[in-house]
Parts: sequence; structure tokens; C-alpha cells
Amino acid sequence: MTHHITTTLLRARVAISAVAHRLAGFLVGVCMLAGWSVAALAADQLAVFGDKRYEWGKLLPEQVEVFRLTGDIERGKEAFRGCRGCHKADAGGLSDGTYPRLSGQHASVVIKQVTEVRAGIRVNPKMEPFSSDHAVSPQEIADIAVFLESVQSTRDNGKGPGTLLTLGKSLYDKGQCASCHGEAGEGKAIRAYPVVASQHYGYLVREMELIQKGLRGNSHPKMVKAIAHYTARDIEAVADYMSRMPDYRLALQTRSR
Amino acid sequence: MSPQWVTGNRWSGCLAGFSGLVGQLGLALTLLLIAQIARAQTIAPEKLQLCASCHGVDGRSAVPGTPHLAGLQTSYFVRQMEDFRKGRRKSPVMQAVMTGLDDKDFALLATHFREQKPPEPGKGDPAMLRKGKDIFMEGIVASAVPACSGCHKEDGTGTNRYPRLAGQQPQYLVEQMLNYKSGARDNDDRSLMRAVAQRMTEAEIRAVAEFIVTMKGDEE
Repeated sequence: MTHHITTTLLRARVAISAVAHRLAGFLVGVCMLAGWSVAALAADQLAVFGDKRYEWGKLLPEQVEVFRLTGDIERGKEAFRGCRGCHKADAGGLSDGTYPRLSGQHASVVIKQVTEVRAGIRVNPKMEPFSSDHAVSPQEIADIAVFLESVQSTRDNGKGPGTLLTLGKSLYDKGQCASCHGEAGEGKAIRAYPVVASQHYGYLVREMELIQKGLRGNSHPKMVKAIAHYTARDIEAVADYMSRMPDYRLALQTRSR
Repeated sequence: MSPQWVTGNRWSGCLAGFSGLVGQLGLALTLLLIAQIARAQTIAPEKLQLCASCHGVDGRSAVPGTPHLAGLQTSYFVRQMEDFRKGRRKSPVMQAVMTGLDDKDFALLATHFREQKPPEPGKGDPAMLRKGKDIFMEGIVASAVPACSGCHKEDGTGTNRYPRLAGQQPQYLVEQMLNYKSGARDNDDRSLMRAVAQRMTEAEIRAVAEFIVTMKGDEE
């Protein structure tokens, strides 16, 4: 690898070794504390779009707690046992999208989503009992988060019919998707914007529908705004496009060669 | 012979050697110590018999509906015993037994049963095996039932956190799952089994129990 000089923050994150992940998890937490409070400044004017009671950027006390902890991949693998019944041992989920693919998701995203599901902010009755504070401790959430970030599922993810990919690409690139979720669908760890590349088509469609209807509970106001005018066809097109983006870690490595 | 005894003998050997150097007083103290170790590490026969009359000395129950204890994780065993004593897990029979046992007994009994050879797999109802296996390995997607294998492992041997299931009595499993479903059993540490059982029909519970009894538990 000869790209060290031009390595961006994200590429550096891709190259992080398993050991360095622990430190990175902590740093992401610190960065998020900063990043989110900045985001909170703009939250007022954006709060009119869907999910009205939710303030993006306002950290829950438990989130502050978890972000300060150092995750451990091995412990996370064991703690993930309680999640495997649905998300499977490789964290690849179900290809029909009933259960999302979690492998390679940013630790920050996992922490944000799990803590908000169990706080009842993200509405998810299926998962709620298994993410309750009885089921996983704050330390286990931190451990699971770094474990998931390190995993690579080898199974194919679920993809759409492949008929609307031109529309999907155009919506993704020219719309506001790429500005937050990245050109390679790599998301943005520091802001807890999720990886969307290689996610199951069925899951992407379902979550976008929930976001449109204001039923997801913890959407970023910009996200709600970005897809507010999408037709069902638009959602299918952009979901299909994202489901066909390769694993962002591979995509970024290839691109940097 | 249990490993405790081996350990006990090694200890007593060392201690006996040491006592030779310090004379009679040392010997007396050593003998006292040996006696205490022996008392601490063996189960009084009458206490083992309390369990064995229903669960078998080897932890393989011959009574339908009474669970096998052989191979069960000590962490799970002790927690259940504590819950019976506190009344958190309800069973008139088990609660009556508790009056003769203390914490030390719980630990000794747990180790005794953990070390027994796990039960031989049963036949199971052939009509339900396929469905039961599917639920155990894959869960039920439509009703968001997680796969049993996620926590209890693919071979049903469980972990320190989740108990062994492989080869367990189906009548017992069904009864417990129905108790979780109704809330009559509510000592599941993490409320997880109640959430799972509430999402399952009685037919699904029966099917998975019929599969579990056929599991050998390969890792053991």
C-alpha cells in the first residue's frame, strides 16, 4: 500500500487494526460529543420535519456514558450472542431485509441506535426486549459496537430488482444522499451517519418509508427533508442502488490504489 | 472421584510435608485443615439424595417433566437454586427442598451435576422435528422469534450465561416455555425468555422441544 500520504480520515479508519479499534472507539466518542453539540445548534430550525419530539444531536446521558467506554472486540463477539438469533453470527442479518446487516457498521451508529431503541426513541418493538438494559449493559453495547465495526459478512446482501439503477444513482449522487452517507455509501462515523453500502434492499426501503411517515422516531431532520418528496419508485430506485454498492471498506481500498 | 478430591489430596500432601518441620502442633493443625477441606468439598449424601430422588444421582432424570441436571452450567444451576429459595422461581416441591440447603451446598451440587455425563439424546416426535429444528436454528421471522441457537449455541450446549438445552426433557421444556409465556415464570434474568415465549404458539414451543431432546450436544 502506497497511499499513506494521501490517506483521508476515513481511509485511515479503514486501515485501523483490531487493537487500534479500541482507541478509535474512544476517539469517535469524543469527536461525537463535539460533533453532535455542533449539530444541535441547527436543530431548532430543522425540527419541523417529522419526528418532532426528537432532537438530533442531543446526547442521552447513557450515550455519553457508552461513548466514554472502551470497547473490546472479543468481549463484543460474546455479548453479540444475544443478537445472533436474529442478526446471525456474521452480523449479516437476513437478505430479505427483515433484520439489517450490521457487519461493518460504524461503532458510533450502533451505539446511537441501540441506546435509542432501548430508550424507546427509535420505535422498534421487535428489538426492544433484546436491547433493554436487562439484556445488554452499557459496556456490552460498547463492546458489541467495536465488534460489529470489525466484522465482514461474506454472505451476499439482498438486492432490488435492478431495473431502476440509473434513477437510483442519479438520486443518490445529485440528491442529498451522498453529502452525508458518502460517495461510497460509507456514512460518517463522527456524526453517526450510517453506512448504507451493501445494506439489504428490503431494509433500506422499509426504513425510508418509516422515515417519510415520521415513524422511525430518531431520524435526522435533514434525512426526513431529503426524502420527503420521494415517490415509492424513487425509494425503490435509490435503495436498489445503495444495496448494490460494494462493502465500503473494499471500495475505498480499491479506489486508493 | 471428583477433581476436588484430587486437589484436596495434593493440598494435604504439601501441608503434611510442611507439618513435619514444625512438629506435633503443625500436624494437628494440618489434620484439622484436611478435615475442613474434606467437609467443604464433598456433598453430604443426604443432601445429594434430596436431589437424586427425582433428578437421579447422575443428574439424569427418569421422571417425565423433571429436568435433567447433568451437564448444566453451574452459573445457571446456582441462580435457579437461589431463586427457588427466594421464591423468585415458584415450585412447591423445590421450595420445600430448599429448607435443607445453603449456599455452599448449591455450589457443591452445581459442580457435581455439571460433571455428570449429559443425558443421551431422545427420539423426539418425528412429525415435529423438521419444524422444531428450523425454529431452533433460524427462528421464526414472521413473528420475530430469534433463533434459539443464537444464545444457546448451534449444538444446544449453552454458555455460562445461557443454559444447556441439548437432550433436555421435552415435557419440562414445554412447561417452562408456557410458564414464561403466561408470566408464571418470571425469573429470567434479562426478561428475554418471556419476550421469546410470548411470540411463540404452543405448537411451535412443542416442536422445538421435540427437536431439543434429540440434540447430542457435540461440544461436550
